[in-house]
Amino acid sequence: MSKSMEGVAKALESFETEYVENYKPTWFKAKLKSPDEIVAVAEAMKAEGLRTLSTVSPTDWPEEGIMEMNYFFEDLETKRNCWVKCEIPRDPERCEIDSITPVVPSAEWHEREAYSMFGVRFRNHPDLRYLILSPDYYGKFPFRADFDMAAHEKEQLEHVKEIVRDFKAEQEANDAELDPEGSEMVLNWGPTHPASGPIRLKVRCDGEDILGVDPEIGYVWRALENLVTRKDFVGAIVAVERLCFMDNINSMTGYCMAVEEIAGVEITPFAKWMRTLLGEIARISSHMMGTGNFYNTMGLHTIMLWNLDVREYFLDVLESYSGARIATAAIEPGGVRYPLDMKLMDELQRALDKFDATIGDIETVFAKNPTMRHRARKIGKISAQEAIDWGLSGPVLRASGVRSDVRLDEPYAAYDQVEMDYVTVPGGTAADRFQTIFEELKQSVKIIKQAKKRIEEGVASGEFDPSKDHMVKVPKKLPAGEAVSRVEWARGEVLMHLVTKEKAKSPYRLKMRAPSFNHTMVLDRLLRGKTLSDIPLVFGSMYVCQGDLDR
Amino acid sequence: MIKILDFFDYARSESLWMAHFCTGCCSLEMAAAMGPRYDWERYGYMPTPTPRQADVLMITGLVSKKILPALLRTYAQMPEPKYVMALGACSYDGGPYNDSLSVIKNPTEILPADVFVAGCPPKPEAIIEGLETIKQKIKNKEPSAASQGGLWKEMEF
Repeated sequence: MSKSMEGVAKALESFETEYVENYKPTWFKAKLKSPDEIVAVAEAMKAEGLRTLSTVSPTDWPEEGIMEMNYFFEDLETKRNCWVKCEIPRDPERCEIDSITPVVPSAEWHEREAYSMFGVRFRNHPDLRYLILSPDYYGKFPFRADFDMAAHEKEQLEHVKEIVRDFKAEQEANDAELDPEGSEMVLNWGPTHPASGPIRLKVRCDGEDILGVDPEIGYVWRALENLVTRKDFVGAIVAVERLCFMDNINSMTGYCMAVEEIAGVEITPFAKWMRTLLGEIARISSHMMGTGNFYNTMGLHTIMLWNLDVREYFLDVLESYSGARIATAAIEPGGVRYPLDMKLMDELQRALDKFDATIGDIETVFAKNPTMRHRARKIGKISAQEAIDWGLSGPVLRASGVRSDVRLDEPYAAYDQVEMDYVTVPGGTAADRFQTIFEELKQSVKIIKQAKKRIEEGVASGEFDPSKDHMVKVPKKLPAGEAVSRVEWARGEVLMHLVTKEKAKSPYRLKMRAPSFNHTMVLDRLLRGKTLSDIPLVFGSMYVCQGDLDR
Repeated sequence: MIKILDFFDYARSESLWMAHFCTGCCSLEMAAAMGPRYDWERYGYMPTPTPRQADVLMITGLVSKKILPALLRTYAQMPEPKYVMALGACSYDGGPYNDSLSVIKNPTEILPADVFVAGCPPKPEAIIEGLETIKQKIKNKEPSAASQGGLWKEMEF
């Protein structure tokens, strides 16, 4: 145990715990005897350096009458994690716990989500409103085990009426509150804005100046976390990959790692390399859209078209491997879904050649573009300390100069054998975020080249058998257990918290922590005091995907 | 006179503009169809930021309860004649989210579609094929399905 990990153990010592265990090399797991101590624990964690809360994940146990709260603290700088559990009564009247948002600001929306879905009331939360839900679910707490979905869903069109009523009432309340002679107004940015996608930012503005932004999310809420509990362990990947289509491989990898951990299965080195290879292809496909979108928000579409051209070649590889361009379902518990035909490597080489031939042009014309840099360097500035406090992750965090990347901090798949380094850019402005994503494209290609070489060598020497090694058997029924896995997704850190019951055929609870959630949470802080024309660019630079925002 | 009206239909069919409105993940393949490899602009298709200039509304995949009023309002703002194209399994019966808490299972009963494009998500070729079908429909002077009926007429949005 490293010295810094001892600090975490020490911080936990002063609390009454049922157990403290060394869960993984960089993880501690502890269970508190009393939920009243959670704020003190958060303070102790913060003092120790674990300043970010990944997420809050309640698990509902109706037979025992308890709601089990899971807090995932993390230290993005020295790579330490701590999983703190405690129990509160599940009875809706008494389902209460102190909010840690005043101590750890990154918990704000995660607590609101836990409140909306499970009805856990957080005392002293600064702004405990419903989030994600459509108005017909307000106060119904749909993720609770005893919620009757079939009965609720019978009258869908009645619910839509309720939503319309709610929306109109909101507009009328705005009209009543605002002075018709004054210059203040509430502007709905999205969901029909060309740069927004399905999200609505309620922008309160005085003329051009923004006074505050309140994001209204949940327009593509599919309740995936609830949907997987009605599918078997393999079928669940269909829901998990739809977290966001732009990078679907890495989210599946995260889920499969959690299943394998509970099943106690170790996958083959060949499958690990395949996961790395496919994951980086998906990352390129996502980053291509991301850099294109960034320029789209400034009204220039050329880079998007250039990027789409390159991206097609990488999608061809995915299509040849899995039969689908985007919804690949290529990663399965136990390895990767299909055996490898070595002809795929020729196709991959074509994609890499295309990338190498184009990336120089994209760099000269767009990445180094002085007009863009002049415009984007002035807005959306996030300092390293703020980025850590707000729980940002992925390229957005690294653009603030923080050296954090799950691929290096807690290596999964074959990343422990890959030569790579953190891609960081100091500065933290919108231009720096574009730069980070762009540099990561080149990094991904380097990783793909390493993985390709390793697989080709392994197959040539007979070490890997591409027709058999792709999969090891994972039992259909899993034992009772609980696992946490983290992956570096294209947009940031995805944390999967999987809970299973004894002899279960399907997940009992799956919490997916997705990066866009935190990235949208900070829009208000970034945009306050700026002008309306900055909204698309700041929003585009935060690299948000509504799919993983709403889940 | 008849010939001039024929010309209008011809012109309309050869320059279909679609409202730029994403309800779900199929919009990603819509972007690919826009890209250089498939290049739908060679057929005269173009996304437009405002529904006021659009001829076609695409239901790009899933429609959640929350976005349905926005979808209908976008449709209502489009000038006649207007057509609806439903992409993907979700817009038919909810697709992979059929069992979900929050997804409309019958979006095309509410807003009937002229063309269904199958797939999850449909490939860009299929999307272009679907738009070609709408082109034919306009040339044949067939009325659009949503103007004939659908639950949206009785709904408030």
